[in-house]
Amino acid sequence: MSDRPPRDPDALRRYIAELLASGLETETEPMPRTEREFAEILDQLRALDPEDVRGRLVIAGFLDHPYGPEQQRCQECIYYLVHRRWCDIPEISLPCEPDWWCRLWRI
Amino acid sequence: MANLLWLQGGACSGNTMSFLNAEEPSACDLVTDFGINILWHPSLGMELGDNLQRLLRACVSGEIPLDIFVFEGTVVRGPDGTGAWNRFAGRPMKDWVAELAQAAQYVVAIGDCATWGGIPATAPNPTDSTGLQFLKRQKGGFLGADFRSKAGLPVINIPGCPAHPDWVTQILVAVATGRAADIRLDDFQRPKTFFASFTQTGCTRNMHFAYKVSATEFGQRKGCLFYDLGCRGPMTHSPCNRILWNRQSSKTRSGMPCLGCTEPEFPFFDLAPGTVFKTQTVMGVPKDLPEGVDKTGYIKLTVAAKAAAPKWAEEDIFVV
Ligand code: SF4
Ligand code: SF4
Ligand code: SF4
Repeated sequence: MSDRPPRDPDALRRYIAELLASGLETETEPMPRTEREFAEILDQLRALDPEDVRGRLVIAGFLDHPYGPEQQRCQECIYYLVHRRWCDIPEISLPCEPDWWCRLWRI
Repeated sequence: MANLLWLQGGACSGNTMSFLNAEEPSACDLVTDFGINILWHPSLGMELGDNLQRLLRACVSGEIPLDIFVFEGTVVRGPDGTGAWNRFAGRPMKDWVAELAQAAQYVVAIGDCATWGGIPATAPNPTDSTGLQFLKRQKGGFLGADFRSKAGLPVINIPGCPAHPDWVTQILVAVATGRAADIRLDDFQRPKTFFASFTQTGCTRNMHFAYKVSATEFGQRKGCLFYDLGCRGPMTHSPCNRILWNRQSSKTRSGMPCLGCTEPEFPFFDLAPGTVFKTQTVMGVPKDLPEGVDKTGYIKLTVAAKAAAPKWAEEDIFVV
């Protein structure tokens, strides 16, 4: 896998899927309990190099499966664009799959 | 001819600026077409010093009949209940307010500060400010819960930060032309004609609200501002998307969230850092849900709406 992430959304989705499947450890906890904590995660994401997809996945706490007792997942997240299969929060802006999850999830 | 007196307490003059920009009818129309005689107004009045005191005393005594007393700004009671932090025409403003409210046929509170305290009354409320008949959601305020003006009405509350100019002039015309009995008030004494519907009523983003597509940045034309940017449109009683601002637009149309400025709690969450322009959530679910919707229903609706959302809802449909 090359270090430079692909630009094509489908290729980028596959690249992310492979990273997650290969056991990339991401920061799923702590979940942000307040808007301040949420904003701090966004600040960390903003500080990354825009090419650093792996860093974004780690800080946002990406998983390639639903999470928690309520089985939260991108499909129901307010930032998820169902048809584009895309996370639309500007700090992430990455292709996703409906069954993925990250700790910025909100409904 | 209806005599109108307008005074200003703890205020920023925003409602005066708004009033002077009214269009339907305009502030001039009030005088030329609707028989309103503006006895005095902070930006329009000619009298100063002793002459102003004489005018105010004549209103209190009844020598000059006072038909409409308009108050903008909070009633400042500090320090220690003296009201000395807001003196006007030789005495604490609160003393003028108490006497003029008793003398007037109708009392109209304009803007959040005069209606429920607004920003000056935000905790810790250092000036001990209050609205005329409410302090935030609690009835009473400065004049007391039982206050009725001479015509038998409680204070007519026209909230907003500021109030839309046409809400102000249209209510003043109704009162001045003898149609006050037609004004129906809600539980917070707001005229129902303006405040029974929501900011969301007529918002151009309702389709995105329905399909749960979120705007994630200010000014975006796609998406609803409720989910991420803290729009209070579904919980706020106002006609901001029916009676447009400057006859042109509204906050939500231009991509800015409604702050809920016509509601007694404004500014919400006492302006704590991170609470403005950000939807407050508990474990990812908004704390404040659209009026009449519970958490279970909201989640079910989201699941269904996201599954049903059409492709166009994800695009900027205003671009050709
Ligand atoms: S914020 Fe997280 S959960 Fe929501 S769509 Fe983006 S990646 Fe998925
Ligand atoms: S932007 Fe605000 S007022 Fe408009 S539809 Fe969304 S929540 Fe309602
Ligand atoms: S859109 Fe909301 S915050 Fe703006 S003026 Fe209307 S009620 Fe107030």
